[in-house]
Amino acid sequence: MTSSSSTTNAPLVCWNCHERTVGTHFCSSCGKVLQVPEHSDYFAMFEIPRKLWIEMGALEQKFLQLSWKLHPDNFVKATPAEREISLKRSSELNDAYRTLRDPVARVEYLLAIEGARKEGQNKQQAPPELLEEVFELNESLDELREVKASGGDTVNLKHRLEAAEKNFAGKLTGVDGELQNAAREWDSALESGDSAKRQSIRNKLNELLNRRSYIRNLVTNVQKELL
Amino acid sequence: MGRIVGIDLGTTNSLVAYLDPATNQPKCIPGPSGSTLCPSVVSLDPDGSIIVGEPARRRLLTQPERTIYSVKRLMGRGPADVQNELKLFPFRIDPSGNHVIRVQLGDKVFTPPEISSFILRELKNWAETYFGETVDRAVITVPAYFNDAQRQATKDAGKLAGLEVLRLVNEPTAAALAYGLHEEQRGKVAVYDLGGGTFDISILKLISTSEGDIYQVLSTNGDTHLGGDDIDNLLQAFVHEQILQTDQIDFSPHGELAQELRKELIAIKHKLSEAESATLRFPLPGGRVFVHEFTRGALEALIRPVVDRTMVPVNQALADAHLKPTDLDEVVLVGGATRTPLTRRTVQEYFDRKPHTELNPDEVVALGAAVQADILDHGVNSMLLLDVTPLSLGIETYGGAVAKIIPRNSTIPASAQELYTTGVDNQTGIDIHVLQGERELAKDCRSLARFNLRVPAAPAGLPRIEVKFLIDANGILQVSAKDIRTGTEHSIEVQPSYGLNDNDIERMLEESIEYAEQDFAERQVIEARTEAESILTATAKALANPNASNLTLPERAMIESSVAALKEAVQGTDYKLIRKQMDDLNKATEHLAELLMNSALQSALEGKKLAEV
Repeated sequence: MTSSSSTTNAPLVCWNCHERTVGTHFCSSCGKVLQVPEHSDYFAMFEIPRKLWIEMGALEQKFLQLSWKLHPDNFVKATPAEREISLKRSSELNDAYRTLRDPVARVEYLLAIEGARKEGQNKQQAPPELLEEVFELNESLDELREVKASGGDTVNLKHRLEAAEKNFAGKLTGVDGELQNAAREWDSALESGDSAKRQSIRNKLNELLNRRSYIRNLVTNVQKELL
Repeated sequence: MGRIVGIDLGTTNSLVAYLDPATNQPKCIPGPSGSTLCPSVVSLDPDGSIIVGEPARRRLLTQPERTIYSVKRLMGRGPADVQNELKLFPFRIDPSGNHVIRVQLGDKVFTPPEISSFILRELKNWAETYFGETVDRAVITVPAYFNDAQRQATKDAGKLAGLEVLRLVNEPTAAALAYGLHEEQRGKVAVYDLGGGTFDISILKLISTSEGDIYQVLSTNGDTHLGGDDIDNLLQAFVHEQILQTDQIDFSPHGELAQELRKELIAIKHKLSEAESATLRFPLPGGRVFVHEFTRGALEALIRPVVDRTMVPVNQALADAHLKPTDLDEVVLVGGATRTPLTRRTVQEYFDRKPHTELNPDEVVALGAAVQADILDHGVNSMLLLDVTPLSLGIETYGGAVAKIIPRNSTIPASAQELYTTGVDNQTGIDIHVLQGERELAKDCRSLARFNLRVPAAPAGLPRIEVKFLIDANGILQVSAKDIRTGTEHSIEVQPSYGLNDNDIERMLEESIEYAEQDFAERQVIEARTEAESILTATAKALANPNASNLTLPERAMIESSVAALKEAVQGTDYKLIRKQMDDLNKATEHLAELLMNSALQSALEGKKLAEV
């Protein structure tokens, strides 16, 4: 997988006029809407570098501008081939905007296209520094379920769980802060072109995402039991 | 290519509208009675013909077993889904249907899309009569909260009515389009749409760009089984109970008497939107008249649960758009049920803002559909609509759980890819179950489709098939698959869980010809030919008359060439040409007609009968 920071897609051949074209969305020689190149990604679609800090106003402007041109409403009377391309292109534009707009989805996507997203084995495992607290939390949850089932008094247990929920929600905010810091590091490493540094930040981001998803699941589970 | 129209296919009433190029404003088209509202009622006449609209509505009282209303409630639903509806609505469901509901009208059965197609065909006829031209394409509106199956059923209905459905547009979004054109609104807008059978809330952002205005839907929510019908049901149940107590008369819920009472109660409800009180006087079997005075307060107490239920989706839509009620710049009310003062007050208090009601709430959705129809006909030049999918799309995973792959309120078109591989050697298929909904378990979500993905036999884990799920601009799902190793695209035969498959549609299209009136153009050709034949016969007869000898040679030659031209035109199918040649012949025979008329007068004076001339 490429780790280049290039923002333009390689030239491709237009499906309509068969000329080589340098346009990102429309053919530079005949003006027809172009197919999505196989190696394209969401950052390239918006013609921005693979940085994690994105100026939202500019992203929205670009999204609206491209929507004008790519939306299927423009292609109702076009050939079936063009209609098909428009549908594909505008769905990918919407997918891209949805992903890049969300700070966490953005990191996940970046790691995926950099070939560095590994969730699998880490997903079910508690991060080592949380082991003790998670163990305690799970015990309280089990206890609550038992008391609920036997119809006993759950007030004290609920208080304990609410405190735990607050604690983990705080940790979630902490992880989000760490993610932001790592994202900043990524952007500067990208500028300096330090590929070893990039590798280590990718690993860090991956680890943070796994921790975040683990804690978020915990919080959701506690919330469900407290309902 | 014929004309394009916008159609609001409603639970209670349906309307058709177009964009008047002279004023650039949308306009509803009236039917034969002069009203723009076509009651969404269909009746099967004992002679086998289909009756739609007001005449069908009258038959609700006289032939309830051959007549159906509120069929929209059945669109895209399975027999198991509608058990609750059957308690409240006089739907006679054919028990032999399995994945498709069939409704009995007299001795025939029809699917809900077929019944809806009769309504669409009626509106198509209204428009064709109005324009004097064929109408073959339409934008049809659907509740924003309609799921894939309900949307597909609506599209099928359009196809069965002989319309190319260029787009399904969400009703609240259509209303926003109509208001935007009317009021030049900007900023964040909430559209509260309480119709006959469905409730929608949509939050939109209206953005002015250098290229034009963008209507971006931020979030939508709703309840496809909540509307004015429910208010009527509450009223009816209340009065049934009263009558049971005072007169010991137990109404059979769907008999003629109940229909008659329902009609009266709807009138009372409408009166109470203006007046503080209204009195029901209902003659009972046995001669006594049941009298009950309703005050607006009592009505409001009765219907408050319905209005309160609408606030749950409203809260959710705002939360999804990350907005507070006071963040909205405008609030728009749509749907006949928003005429109820309680609804208006509740919405006004919630948003702390006086809602817009300038446009007729019955017409506004059809007007917006006409605006979108014009955009599609002429290309995006001043307005663009970006709508969202109302429900999350998911696939069933291990243990009956659902993995969401396209979240609700994603701008459409939207897509998601999933990579599949095999678990055992030489496995040749993978079962995929696609669902729509917000719940975590597959059994609690709406099943859209199940299909078996074919996989080439290979060692476990080696095949890599990418399945692409795409929700198009109509909110309808498309599925395709690609073998990553070979690059070959698989076509996927998706059998909808509820609704019609291609064979059903094909068969119904064939059957629909039986009920269909002739195509508009065909009708025109036949009418023109008939008229032409009678003119040709009359001309031949006149030329044979002795008085025709008074014609000059050039006059006679002109008539003969016009006759030849008309005879030729009649052989073809261009009705406009036939009409033109008829006009030419009429002009050419002006002198001949005069000659005959004069001689006829003379003959009359001479005591001859006119027919002998």
